[in-house]
Amino acid sequence: MVNQARGGSLDAQAALTGLVLVIAWGGLHLALRRLVPRAVPYLLPLAALICAVGLVEIYRLDFHQATLQRWWLLVASGLALLVSLGLRSNGTAVLRRYRYLFLTAALILLAAPLLPSTLPLRGVELNGSRLWLRLHLFGRDLVQFQPGEIAKLLLVIFLAGYLSDRQPELLSSAKSWGRLRLPQPRQLLPVALAWLASMGVMVYQRDLGASLLLFTVFLLLLYVASGRAAHLALGGLLFMGGTLAAYQMFGHAAARIDAWLDPWSDFEGSGYQLAQSLFALGSGSLSGSGLGLGRPDLIPVASTDFIFSAVAEEIGLAGAIGIVVSYALLVAAGIGIALRARDPFRKLLATGLSLVIGVQSLLILGGVTRLLPVTGISLPWMSYGGSALVANMVLLVLLARLSHEEAR
Amino acid sequence: MNTSIRRTAAGLLVGFLLLVLNLTYLQAIAGPRYRDDLRNRRVQVARAETERGPILSREGVVLAQSRIQSDGSFLRVYPEGSLYAHTVGFSSLLFGDRGLERTRAQQLAASPSGTISAIIDSLLGRARAALGLRLTLSHTLQTAAAVALGNQTGAVVALDPTTGEVLAYYSSPMFDPALLLGEASAPGDALEADPTQPLLDRAGYATYAPGSAFKIITAAAGLEAGSINSGSEFPNPEQLALPGSSATISNFGGGRCGPADTATVADAFRLSCNTVFAQVAMELGAEELVARAEAAGFNQAIPFELAVLDSAIPSAESFANDRPGLGQTGIGQRDLRATPLQMALVAAAVATDGSIMNPYLVEEVFTASLQVRERAEPRVWKRAMSPGTAAALRELMLGAVASGTGTRAQVDGVSVGGKTGTAEVPGGAPHAWFVGFATIDDESLALAVLVESGGALGEEATGGSVAAPIAGAIISAWSQITPLHLSSPE
Repeated sequence: MVNQARGGSLDAQAALTGLVLVIAWGGLHLALRRLVPRAVPYLLPLAALICAVGLVEIYRLDFHQATLQRWWLLVASGLALLVSLGLRSNGTAVLRRYRYLFLTAALILLAAPLLPSTLPLRGVELNGSRLWLRLHLFGRDLVQFQPGEIAKLLLVIFLAGYLSDRQPELLSSAKSWGRLRLPQPRQLLPVALAWLASMGVMVYQRDLGASLLLFTVFLLLLYVASGRAAHLALGGLLFMGGTLAAYQMFGHAAARIDAWLDPWSDFEGSGYQLAQSLFALGSGSLSGSGLGLGRPDLIPVASTDFIFSAVAEEIGLAGAIGIVVSYALLVAAGIGIALRARDPFRKLLATGLSLVIGVQSLLILGGVTRLLPVTGISLPWMSYGGSALVANMVLLVLLARLSHEEAR
Repeated sequence: MNTSIRRTAAGLLVGFLLLVLNLTYLQAIAGPRYRDDLRNRRVQVARAETERGPILSREGVVLAQSRIQSDGSFLRVYPEGSLYAHTVGFSSLLFGDRGLERTRAQQLAASPSGTISAIIDSLLGRARAALGLRLTLSHTLQTAAAVALGNQTGAVVALDPTTGEVLAYYSSPMFDPALLLGEASAPGDALEADPTQPLLDRAGYATYAPGSAFKIITAAAGLEAGSINSGSEFPNPEQLALPGSSATISNFGGGRCGPADTATVADAFRLSCNTVFAQVAMELGAEELVARAEAAGFNQAIPFELAVLDSAIPSAESFANDRPGLGQTGIGQRDLRATPLQMALVAAAVATDGSIMNPYLVEEVFTASLQVRERAEPRVWKRAMSPGTAAALRELMLGAVASGTGTRAQVDGVSVGGKTGTAEVPGGAPHAWFVGFATIDDESLALAVLVESGGALGEEATGGSVAAPIAGAIISAWSQITPLHLSSPE
C-alpha cells in the first residue's frame, strides 16, 4: 500500500509483511477460539488492527526495522500460543500459585540490564537508558531485548496474587481518628516498597516511563483491592515528591518537563522531538496525508515512542481517533472481564492487565500530544520493539483466558 | 471491589476523552498553524515540490518562473534579478513570501497532488494547475526608472491615469531576491540589518513630506472652492509673516515671487512660491484643504495589491488655533506625509477628469495553455476634483515644466506637466520630488519621482534639479513605446 502510494508496485517484501501479519494474528486468533471458546472474541482483532497500522508505519519509516518486527511478531504469537496451551489444564489459578516465583523472576529481569557488558549475555545502554539485554555469541550480536517488558507483566501477576492474599486485611483493619480513617502503617509498607522499586528503576535505569507505569498500576490495583482512596492520595503525594526530587537531581527528567512546558523555547534542543511531533499532528489535519505520503521521518526516532504521531500525520484525525478508540475499547473489554471475574485474584489480574494497556497507552499518547510530559514508553502493539510485542501479546492471551474463566 | 474497578475504569475513560479532545484541537484547530510554521520542514518540502506559474511583464518578459530540478523539485528563479524585488517579490523557504508571490500564491501555486485532501479537492473540482500572471508593469519603464535613479535612494511610480495600470513601481536601493531563496539565512539577515534598508518598499511603504509637490492639492482646493483662479493676484512680500507667531515663510532661495508687487497663482505655481501658497491655504481654511487632500486619497487606505502605507494630513480641527501651521501645510511641510504612490495618484487625477482609478499590477491571470482566466477591470477609486479643476491644474503644471521649476522634465514631442517639490528635512538634505503627467495624443502617463535626501546633489538638491530629470528620462522612455496597447501581446 505504501509502495503503491509512492508510485511503486506491490513487491514481495510488502506482501511478506502482510502475510506475516495475517498468519501471526489470524493464527493466534483461531487457536484462541478453540482453546478459550467462551472468551470475548474481539480482543485480538482490536489489537491486530493497531498492530497492522503500526507495522505499515514502521515499514514506511524504516524497512530494516519492519523486517525485524515481523519476525518478532511470529515469535510473539508463538510464545503467546505456548502460554495459552500452558494454561489450558489449570487455568489462571496456576499463576496465583507461583506469584513469588514471578516476583523473583521480575526482579532478576529488571536488574538484568545492569550485567557487565563483557559477558555473552550483556546489558546494553541505548539512548541514555540501560534497559537492554543483548545475547552476544561467536563474536556477533545475535538478539537484543528489553527484559523490563516481560518483568512488567510478571509484576502485575504477582501484585494480583499478593493483593488478593492481603485483601481481607486491607478491607477490614482501618484505624479511625475521629472522622478520618487511616490505613494501618503495616499496610502502607507495600506502597512504600513499590515507590522505592519504581524510584529504583528511574534512578538506575533512567526509565521514567516504566517507573511511572509500574507505580501507577500498582497504586490503582491497591485502590481496587482496598477500596480506599487514601492509598491513592498518599501514593500520589509520594510520586509527586519523587518527581520533584528527580526534576532537581536528574537532567533527563528536568529536560523532559521543560520541553513539555515549552517545546518552542529550546526548539533546536530538548524541545525538538516534541515540536516535530506537534508539526506532524498538525500537518496530518483531518484526513491525513495518506500512508507513505507524509513526512513523519522528520520526527527523530519516530518508530518507537513517537509512532502515534507518525501514524496520525498519515491517517489524520479520523484515523488517530480510531486508534485511540481501539485502545479505549480494549481497556473497556478488560475491565468488563474484571467485573465479571469470579474471584478477587482474577478480578485484580484482569484489572491489572487492563491498567497496563490503559495507563501505558495514555502515558505515551498524552506525551506525544503534549498533554503530559514525554515519559518515553512504547505504545502497545504499535511501536517498534520485539520484547514489548511479546509481552503485550501474552497479556492479550491472559485476558482472553480470564474471560474464558468468567463465572457464568 | 467492582465499585472501585468501575471508578478506575471511569478515570481511564476520562483520560481517553481528554486525549481525543486534545487530538482534535491539535489536528483540526491548531493544525493550520503547525502546518504553516516555518520551522516545520514540511512547509519547505511542500514549496519545493509545488510548481508555481510564471510572472511576466506586460511585454512578456519573464520576471519569475519555476524551473524543474533533476530531483523533481522546483527552483524559483527571477531572471530580472533585483528589478522587480518589491513588486513580484519572492517565494523564500526561510523568509516566506512577499509581493505578488504572496498575494497571488493561491493562483500561482498548483494545488498539491497525491494526498487524500487533494483527491477530495479534485473530486470537488477545486484542484488546479499553476496559473501565470501578466503584469501591468512595463519592463521598458521599470528599467528606465532603475537607470534614471541609479544609486540614489528613492522611488518611482508611473501609471496609466485612465485605467490605473501601474507601469513602473521601483524603489531604490533594491535587493536580489535570489539572496533570500537559499537554505542559509545569513544573506537575508544581512539585508534586514542593512542600514540602507533595501527591503523597504519606498514607493508605497514609506512616507515623506511632499514639500511643494503638495501645492497641486492646495491649488486644487482653492480652484474647487472658487477662492482662486489661475489669474488671481496675491501680495508678493519677500517674507510672509505668519499671523499669531513670529515665524515667517520665505521662498526657496529667498527673494520675491517675480518682480511685481503682486503675483498671479499661475506664476506662483510655475515658480513654486511659498509666500503665495501659504496665503492661498490660510485664506481657504483648513476644512477645504483637508477635505481636498482626503478626496485625493490622503488618510485613506489605497486599494492596492501590495501592502502600502496611508498618506497623512492632520485633521481640520487641529488647525483651529494654528493658522501658521495651516500656511506651512499649504506648502507641503509640517505634519504632512505622503507616499510616492499617493502622489502619483494625485497626478493621475489631474491628468484625467479629476478621478483616480484603483491602481493595479496584474493585468491578467492565464493558464498553462495561455488562456486568459481572469482579466483586471479598471475601477474608479475616487473623484478627487471636478473636470474643470483638473483642466485648470493641467495648465498650471504644463506651465511649471514649460518655464518654471520643472523644465528639466521636458521631453521633445511630449506635452509634460508637473510640480517639483523640495521637502525640507530637519537636520538633513531635502527630499526631491517631481509629480506630473505626460500626454501624447490620447495617451497619458502619471508619475511621481522621489529622491531621498537630495540624492547625488545632497544639500544642493531641488526637485527641479534632481527629480525632474528622472521624470524626463522615464517620460522619454514612455514616449518610445506609446501607444502602449500596441506593444502588449494579445
